[in-house]
Amino acid sequence: MRHVALQPDATETKPLTEPVLLILLSLADRPRHGYALMKDIESLSHGRVRLSTGTLYGALRRLLEDTWIERFKQEDTSREKQAYRLTSAGRRQLQLELGRMKQLTQAASVRLRAKEV
Amino acid sequence: MIAQWIYRALLRLYPRDYTAAFADEMLAAFEKGWEERQRQGRAALARFALTEVAGLVTGVGAEWIARLTTDSSVRGRGLPDLRKMRPAGVPSELWFGAAGSNSPQSSLPLEVAQAQERVAFLVGGMVHAIANHDFQAARSYSYEEYRARDTLCSLRKKYGLDQ
Repeated sequence: MRHVALQPDATETKPLTEPVLLILLSLADRPRHGYALMKDIESLSHGRVRLSTGTLYGALRRLLEDTWIERFKQEDTSREKQAYRLTSAGRRQLQLELGRMKQLTQAASVRLRAKEV
Repeated sequence: MIAQWIYRALLRLYPRDYTAAFADEMLAAFEKGWEERQRQGRAALARFALTEVAGLVTGVGAEWIARLTTDSSVRGRGLPDLRKMRPAGVPSELWFGAAGSNSPQSSLPLEVAQAQERVAFLVGGMVHAIANHDFQAARSYSYEEYRARDTLCSLRKKYGLDQ
């Protein structure tokens, strides 16, 4: 039997871009289709981020390719209302990113407090 | 509607596999966004149109670069359409025989169409399992697919579809 050592995935350590992070966050609680994602991302970012359809679907295509999300078959299946949901790999990436951000904000808070004292 | 027509024309600039997978959804999302911005006034509508055009132009460039630089097996993970996937050994003229209908298999006997769908489903499951390094599941899908393909072959013989 041939044993293969798995190399750590390079994308695992790479910080996520804001649209990707927001897409993963939006899919964290339930599956959503394209337009619902756009609206939810707008509300998640308090109106600061408004993704165009080109940006959204480009990111969705890459996330499907990385198998971080998958297409989700709903009862009323029409091609225009294709929903997407997080895979376990996508959820893990989101948790890694949130952990990274948490660590960064903690470090930043410590520095700011030190400066104030 | 002119905006819709322009948007549809711009979508054709994307690579063909991308358009096949996402154009309908993108158009539907654009239409909803357009309707909503129309209610918000001209300024919102103009901002929306500009953002959409900019997003499409950069998207087209990025997708062509990705298309030319990504291995087709990797790209295939994101863009397969199982409803259109033709199992190996099934002639394309038969699979896509019902041109213009929603279901490519609709001209086939129900039993055969269901067997084809099962093969396609199992192939999709196997690809997904391999992509996720779940080799035990992949082996199980592979075994099931082998059996499903056997069933499909005997059904095709039964209905005289091999001639």
